[in-house]
Amino acid sequence: MQSKIIGKIAATENRPTTIDEFYFWTSKNLILNPFDVIKVNHISDSTTYGVVEEISHITDTPSYLTSYISNDFGDVEAITNTERIGMNYIKAKVVGNSKNIYIPVTNGSQVSMADRYEVEKALGLDNVKNPLVCGYIQMYESADNQNRVTLPISLNSDFLIGPEGAHLNISGISGLAAKTSYAMFILKAIQEKYAMNDTENNGIAFIFLNVKGRDLLAIDEPNLDMDNSDQKLYEMLGLSHEPFKNVRYLYPYSTNNYSNTYASKDLIESQIDRNKVSFYKYIYEYDKDSLDLLFSNIDDPAQTMDSIINYIISAQGNFGNIKTWENFRNEIDEYCKAGNSKTDKEISIASWRKFKRIISKSTKNPIFSQRTVEEKNETRIQDSIMNIKKNDVFVIDIAKLEETMQSFVFGDVIRNVYDLKLGQTQRDENDIPSKIIIFIDELNKYASSDIPKNSPILRQLIDIAERGRSLGIILFSAEQFRSVIYDRVTGNCSTHAYGRTNAIEISKKDYQFIPNVYKNMMTRLKQGEYIIQNPIFRSVLKIKFPKPVYKQFK
Amino acid sequence: MKRITEFIAHETDGKSFKTNKFCLDSISNSAINYEEPNNISLNQYGETIKLKETIDLSEQSKKLEGSDPLFKYFLDGSRRTYKVDDIIYDKKVFPIIAGQIGVGCCYRENRQLIPNVLEMHNVIALPESADKDGNFRDNFFENLKNKISEIDVLKKRNISFSKILIYNEQKLQPGQRYENFGIAKIQDEMIEKEKQVVASLAKNDKLDQNSFLLKDGSLEYKKMKTGDYKDLSVIKSNYQCVIGASKSFNPEKCMDERGRSNASIIAKLPLYHRTPAYLYESEISGDVKFAIWYVRIRDSKFTYSPFDGILKLEKILISDIEQENGIETDLINIITANIINERNPVCYGDDTRWANHLYPIYMTEYYIKSKYLSTEYFLNLF
Repeated sequence: MQSKIIGKIAATENRPTTIDEFYFWTSKNLILNPFDVIKVNHISDSTTYGVVEEISHITDTPSYLTSYISNDFGDVEAITNTERIGMNYIKAKVVGNSKNIYIPVTNGSQVSMADRYEVEKALGLDNVKNPLVCGYIQMYESADNQNRVTLPISLNSDFLIGPEGAHLNISGISGLAAKTSYAMFILKAIQEKYAMNDTENNGIAFIFLNVKGRDLLAIDEPNLDMDNSDQKLYEMLGLSHEPFKNVRYLYPYSTNNYSNTYASKDLIESQIDRNKVSFYKYIYEYDKDSLDLLFSNIDDPAQTMDSIINYIISAQGNFGNIKTWENFRNEIDEYCKAGNSKTDKEISIASWRKFKRIISKSTKNPIFSQRTVEEKNETRIQDSIMNIKKNDVFVIDIAKLEETMQSFVFGDVIRNVYDLKLGQTQRDENDIPSKIIIFIDELNKYASSDIPKNSPILRQLIDIAERGRSLGIILFSAEQFRSVIYDRVTGNCSTHAYGRTNAIEISKKDYQFIPNVYKNMMTRLKQGEYIIQNPIFRSVLKIKFPKPVYKQFK
Repeated sequence: MKRITEFIAHETDGKSFKTNKFCLDSISNSAINYEEPNNISLNQYGETIKLKETIDLSEQSKKLEGSDPLFKYFLDGSRRTYKVDDIIYDKKVFPIIAGQIGVGCCYRENRQLIPNVLEMHNVIALPESADKDGNFRDNFFENLKNKISEIDVLKKRNISFSKILIYNEQKLQPGQRYENFGIAKIQDEMIEKEKQVVASLAKNDKLDQNSFLLKDGSLEYKKMKTGDYKDLSVIKSNYQCVIGASKSFNPEKCMDERGRSNASIIAKLPLYHRTPAYLYESEISGDVKFAIWYVRIRDSKFTYSPFDGILKLEKILISDIEQENGIETDLINIITANIINERNPVCYGDDTRWANHLYPIYMTEYYIKSKYLSTEYFLNLF
């Protein structure tokens, strides 16, 4: 098919073509969009490919005053017989040349639309190893059917889940960006492509933390809102439109008087019937070592809280004999009494009282319990994670827990995953999943730059970001504003997905290397659209993804 | 590798001086052109109704807004002239004048201008003495032209010269210069090309009562019957639907009944008013009569001089009835109202003559100029 010629290169004194970029003019009526790929005839019968970055419209009007005068000195009703001469000119970034010729394209060269195969080639998507679909692109959206290009986009999974690179960070405004849906789309693709079919190693296990409402509490149930066109999109992407498999929901233990989840009774009962539910609890005897996680967001410059926690964990005083949370709280009470002489002088009574304030409310939650009853599907997070198997998908519900408790549970999850992968278990190493992917939304609660630097969760997250790739712990994280996240966490993510955000956010330094037009596009992205950055892509890509495959609660 | 001037000197047995090369053109920014040759007298009207006062066409032009405009074609011709060398023949020194001629015509459809015709020609003007024998002049210069086009410097650049023009060597009067003779020849050649374009449009039935051609500048050609155009009635009929619009004119040449200057009637012309059309019989064009009138398209409070914002319009009188009684006043009104509606957009900021420019003409001029070789490039061929 003959490519549609849409313009010609213009190399001017002020705006020459360079190795990196070029400008071309085109009709003012031709609708192109940033991220569209175009091709230019270049020397030695080669083709240079470019990605549209900026589109400008100019006329021969030299000043605003001319425009004013051209309307009979400010008559808003003035009509002209002749339209001013005008055209669009487009700045494009060079992404490749068919013969690796990178000298600048020459003035007057014809510019045309690319076809599907050329787009693939231009973006370096034609020979992706270990392809993992991460969405699709639509190019020349306003063109006729013949010229429109819809193309599934795959990234090299070695750069997403290791060993070459790891971690995904998704940012965007709540609701408009559909962060959870996008994370789930990629996770589903991973489950389908690798977890269920991976014979080479011990497969992949998934741990999702449900932080909002019932978002992830029915990911093994089909999405009844999906129509034919959505199903066709999944087929085009080479994916099934079935929901997640092998899912187990871990709810925080609730009592009749105290509910710790937004899941309805019916939902939980139906999941119990399918043997997909556990209720997690924390038992003093086994979990007291995790107490530090309750203090993740507490500023502790003098490290007095740290001292108290060490005091308790090392079973000093009477703490070695305590078996229940109730006794623990009573013991703390003793330390808070005026004139107590139980502790050394380094920890003041005021510090004990502060400690008490922090733990009292949290440890009264029913998840801090006496013991677990296996027959009633009760478990400890540690036990569950230490026994996680390949292909397992754990959804750990923390949505209704108060913030300190959410941090506590999340911290406990990553600590246990870390312990598991570092071999702190009796299990045969071959039995442990080679990769565990953790998805957490609202990462800002745990890894924002405001979090105290000594926060155990932050330390652990940095460790995962920096070392997780080699350990097989992969972090998929999401947050509203990427700029607030500690840069050692985002800096170690190999893949970034930018959803709809606001103007203040894009002015932050995290976005300084993204061209202005793409940054501005981030403020206009529709739901289901993302700008993706991955080491194998020659340019950032604007991708779309279909509706989620699992049940959506309204 | 020989340059063109060296080659010409060699071929014509002259001696090249290799003098400084430069562009001869200058642009007048004034709406007043004191060099306009002939008086326009109010003695005779060029339209059917003998008007005593100016006519307000604001209402009529307003009514026409949004309807299909009368003017569909826009014609402009321009030339750039350069003195490229001095050459000596028989102990006399003559300038060699080179020129780039461009004639363009644009068509308007759906408010967009579309290029219709573009004629670009490179020419050289030499004195008569360049042909030492003085015989078979045309063939000599035709051959010389062909030989010049074979010179490497032109061949490599795919540039050719379409004509060698010959200027007279009459004895110079005080104030006269040979340069101006050469320039005049190039100007005549440009006008010839313009006439060709008009003839071609007329021949192809492009011009009719609903599709007028608006030409930049006067229609008063020095000699209507020149070159290929011998039959005056055919030439005139080509101009049935052609209007000439001049940005500059000499208001002093507009006389009242008693032969006194009537410049004030033009200077005081209110906005969107036109003067009566005067009959004008050109002394230089031969047996051709014109109707000439003036219209103000910009309010004088926004212009530098009272003559800015005024266009001089002309139309050739074709039929015997027209020559006898003038053009129908209604037609002149319609033409003028359409001209008024061409007032926007303006080229303010790009051209100091913005108040007198009509945008489609301006664009046609711009189009031609965009096709010229740059002065440096052109001069370096010589």
